[in-house]
Parts: sequence; structure tokens; C-alpha cells
Amino acid sequence: MSPTKVKSMDKLAKRLRDDAARIDVNVSDELDRRIEASLLAVTPEVADERPVTPARPPMFWWASTITGIAAAVAVIAIMNLQAPQQPAADVPLNIVAVVPEIDLKAEAAVLTNPLQEELENLESDLKKAEEKVRREIGL
Amino acid sequence: MLRFLLTRCASYADAEDVLQDTLIAAFRYLHSYDPRWRFSTWLYRIAIRNAAKLRGPDLVEVGELRDEENDPLLQCIADSETENLWLNARQLLNDDVFAAMWLRYAEDMSVNDISKTLDRSASWTKVNLMRGRRTLESKLSDVPDQSEVYG
Repeated sequence: MSPTKVKSMDKLAKRLRDDAARIDVNVSDELDRRIEASLLAVTPEVADERPVTPARPPMFWWASTITGIAAAVAVIAIMNLQAPQQPAADVPLNIVAVVPEIDLKAEAAVLTNPLQEELENLESDLKKAEEKVRREIGL
Repeated sequence: MLRFLLTRCASYADAEDVLQDTLIAAFRYLHSYDPRWRFSTWLYRIAIRNAAKLRGPDLVEVGELRDEENDPLLQCIADSETENLWLNARQLLNDDVFAAMWLRYAEDMSVNDISKTLDRSASWTKVNLMRGRRTLESKLSDVPDQSEVYG
């Protein structure tokens, strides 16, 4: 809001206050007497006081607590009785029986070529044997 | 409060009656006053209700009941060089907006107190106070201020 607007607002508020004060009103003596007489004739009503309910004895509290606990225990027991039986734990399989027997017979290496070449041939044979084993196991 | 009631009642006698009824009702039901609110808020609430009751079930605007010669507000405003803005306010604004403006500027009530008094929401009160101010501002800008005219 612009300062001019605020200024005019303040001016308006002041004018309204001043103008309200300029309304010349007096409570006449007659009205004063009338009001006084009316007030004397009136009896103020008393607030309805609600009857205070007496506090329950502590026995009530204990009884309700015990009942609640008993009910909870009963519910838990019933739920446990009705729960389906857990399946028996799986018996560990004999892995030796499952895995097929592997033929570990290896031919004796005949060193007829230079050592480097022989080493490569042996590695290649080893790889082939490994792949064969894998195939037989089913991996 | 009598000043305020003069703006809402058709005659001076009606305003006095409403004032009397308001004070009696406040005294009788004092136990129901909630101290969270200002006492004047509660009192004005009763007064506005009593004034509306006096007007009847049709809830016509006060201006329709009043004639120029017997207008109690006019009678109480001394002749002066400037026009009383509340007379314009009463012509330009409806009863509730006028009451909100009065409670804000003549009685210095907060927006919350005004909403409580008029049984309206705070947003309604804010919006209508703003509208009322704008309406009166535009009226003021139409009529040049005496001090501005004469320097």
C-alpha cells in the first residue's frame, strides 16, 4: 500500500473517530432512573451447576485393568492356537548324492614340445576339462 | 453505546429502550459472559440483537423506518462546517458494514472482537472494513476538505 494511501486511511480513521465523538448524546436522568429501577427489579440468573459425579473407587480401576489384561491374553492365546503349523524345516540335502560323479582320470602329459608350448597345451586341456565338468554338473 | 444505537434505531426512544433492555439482559445473564472476550464485545452483541428484535422479523434496513425530520442521529449531530461522515456511512453502507466500521473506528475494537460481535467470520469483517473504508474514501475525495479549500 502506498504511503499516500496509508496517510489517507489514517486521515479517514481520525475523521471517523472525531465525527463519532461529535454525536452529542446524553443519557437523561429519566433514562438513568428507569435503568436503575429495572436493574433493581431483576435478579441475575445463577449458572446451572452440574451435579458433580463422585469419583469412582480405585477398585473399579483395578477391576477394569485386570479384565483388559485377561481379555488381551485370551485373544493372544486363541490366535496362537488357531495359527497354522509351521512347515518342518528343510532337511539339508546330501550334496554328494546330487552332484554326479566326475571322472578325474587325467592322461599323463608327454613332454614332446618345448616347455612353453606344452604349458599352453596343458592349460587348454585344463580349460576343456573344466568346461566338461561344468556341463556335467549343469551350471 | 447509546450513540451507536441511535444509528441503528428509528427513533431516540427506541434507542433508549434498546439500551435499557441490553443492560437488563447483561445483568440477568452475567453468568454466561465469557471473559476471553472484552466485556464491551458481549454488550454490543446483546445490543445489536435487541435492536434487530425491535425492528421486527422482516429485518428491513434501518433507513427504511426513519424519516428525515425525526432522525435521532441527525438530531444529535450539531451543525458544523463539515458534514458528519457517519451520516454518509449510514447512507452508503449496509447495517452490518456500518456496524463493523463503527466498532472499529468509534470503539477501537479488534477485527476478532468485531467478528464475534456481529457473528461473522474474521475474513468477512476484514473485507467489509476495507470496502467500507474505500466507499467512504471515495465519498471524501468527491467533497473537498474545508482545510484544503481555505488553505
